[in-house]
Amino acid sequence: MNAVDVRGLSRSFDGREILRDVTFSVDHGEIFGYLGPNGAGKTTTVRILLGLLTPDAGECRVLGQDLTLEDGARAKVGVLFENNGLADRLSAADNLAYYAGLYGLDDPRDRIDELLALVDLEDRRNDPVGTFSTGMKRRLGIARAILHRPEVVFLDEPSSGLDPGAQRMVRDLIVDLSRREDMTVFLNSHHLDEVQRICSTVAILAGGRIQAFDSVRNLIAASDRPEMTVVLAEPGERARACETAIALPYVSDCEDEGEVLRCTLTDPGVIPDFIAALVAAGFRLLEVRRSSRSLEEIYLEHVGQSGDGA
Amino acid sequence: MSTFTVIAGREIHLALRNRSIIITALIFAVWFPALSAVGIVATSGASTDPVSGVVAAVTLPIAIFMGYIFCADAFLREKRDGTIETLLCAPVSLRHLWAGKTAGVAIPAYLTTLLAAVVAFAAASTMLNAFPTLDLLLIPHMLIVVPVWILTAAGFVGAAQLALGMRENQILGFLFIFGFFFLIGGLQSVIPGGSAISATAEVALAVTGIALLGLARFIAGKVSKERIVMTIP
Repeated sequence: MNAVDVRGLSRSFDGREILRDVTFSVDHGEIFGYLGPNGAGKTTTVRILLGLLTPDAGECRVLGQDLTLEDGARAKVGVLFENNGLADRLSAADNLAYYAGLYGLDDPRDRIDELLALVDLEDRRNDPVGTFSTGMKRRLGIARAILHRPEVVFLDEPSSGLDPGAQRMVRDLIVDLSRREDMTVFLNSHHLDEVQRICSTVAILAGGRIQAFDSVRNLIAASDRPEMTVVLAEPGERARACETAIALPYVSDCEDEGEVLRCTLTDPGVIPDFIAALVAAGFRLLEVRRSSRSLEEIYLEHVGQSGDGA
Repeated sequence: MSTFTVIAGREIHLALRNRSIIITALIFAVWFPALSAVGIVATSGASTDPVSGVVAAVTLPIAIFMGYIFCADAFLREKRDGTIETLLCAPVSLRHLWAGKTAGVAIPAYLTTLLAAVVAFAAASTMLNAFPTLDLLLIPHMLIVVPVWILTAAGFVGAAQLALGMRENQILGFLFIFGFFFLIGGLQSVIPGGSAISATAEVALAVTGIALLGLARFIAGKVSKERIVMTIP
């Protein structure tokens, strides 16, 4: 049984089809990235999974259960929406105590102390949340979402609106929690760099359909071309080295980009031959590296350069 | 502790920390009954006989108004800032959530209504220079009828605020309150004895209030999560 199962999910609003036959699954314990441009239907998918919206077709299961029907099953699920779900007039500890009561935690004091320490808000435990910065609220929101030790936690844009330092703190917190609490993390995010760093599997949603669904490693490997970046010890030799490289039968392209040469090979298997040929031709190589494509490039390829899925 | 108690406790906590609503409620709890006391004295002359009846009649609109203003903070605020979406994901039924919130806002609303009743009596006593005779029917009125109508007003407005969009809520909120005022006025005009306190009037008001509270509970149970989520701004 997967942690999350989505099969043939479709949903329209006012005659406009937002989700069309969406299918994917998330394994237990993994950090899953759900990507897509604004309005692609990511939040709609999460709302359907959480039982807040009903699908027109298809089925969704979280831990094998339909959350639309099962009130009790929601106790195994945590959620962080963009608003954090906190009351500004209550203190950090009171906010957590309230949710502990809703989720039926018997004696939550130790757990609240543990989480406030984990999100580095121990010294602000009695301060009203309204006095917190956006980053502090987000960290407290994450603590609230995992307070009841859910098996699956849905995080909707957890880094949205945060400065780079706070983004990093939230990112580290998610990875730490996934390991420490052994929970499945379903991450809705626009931050592709963040997703590439922490997610094991991603699905890219655009135009209402899943455009790609695989592990980050496989997605990058599948779309990877054997493109080599070469730095010579003698920069003046670049033009000659470029001519030498393009003459090789397995080099389809070579460009002098000023500081480096960028050569595209026909097959990754010939990389050792390529390096050996340059050395044999008398060039002294300072650096040779294989250029990897980023998740951002793969994402843009799937959703279009505009990034809006059009 | 039951989830009902948890939800109600939080609403009381939040209401008591909302300075602007507390100040509004206190001003209304003092100003409205004090003005009403002037009316009581003007119509009764030196007699203190009708004081209990008029005070009973005055506390009902105050109770409804208090239910309304405390309710707006509990339901509409959570919808406006989106917190309601997180609450809907908790293992609590929507009807439980509604009931806890309604009961939670009813407590501060009831306390301020009690204050209004005391102010009305004190003002009337001062102006008449005599202590008005307390009618024993005021006890069930304050212990049963007033809380029932606070719960009814808060429950109805709360259910409507969950189900309706923000713009509709702005328009319909006041219509609900005036609807309640007209309903009470209408009931008092058809019940024999008019606005004077009587067992018949108290029973009729209690029964009507309980029936409306049941209707509000039924409506709250019919509101879908989808409806609430789709009307979050």
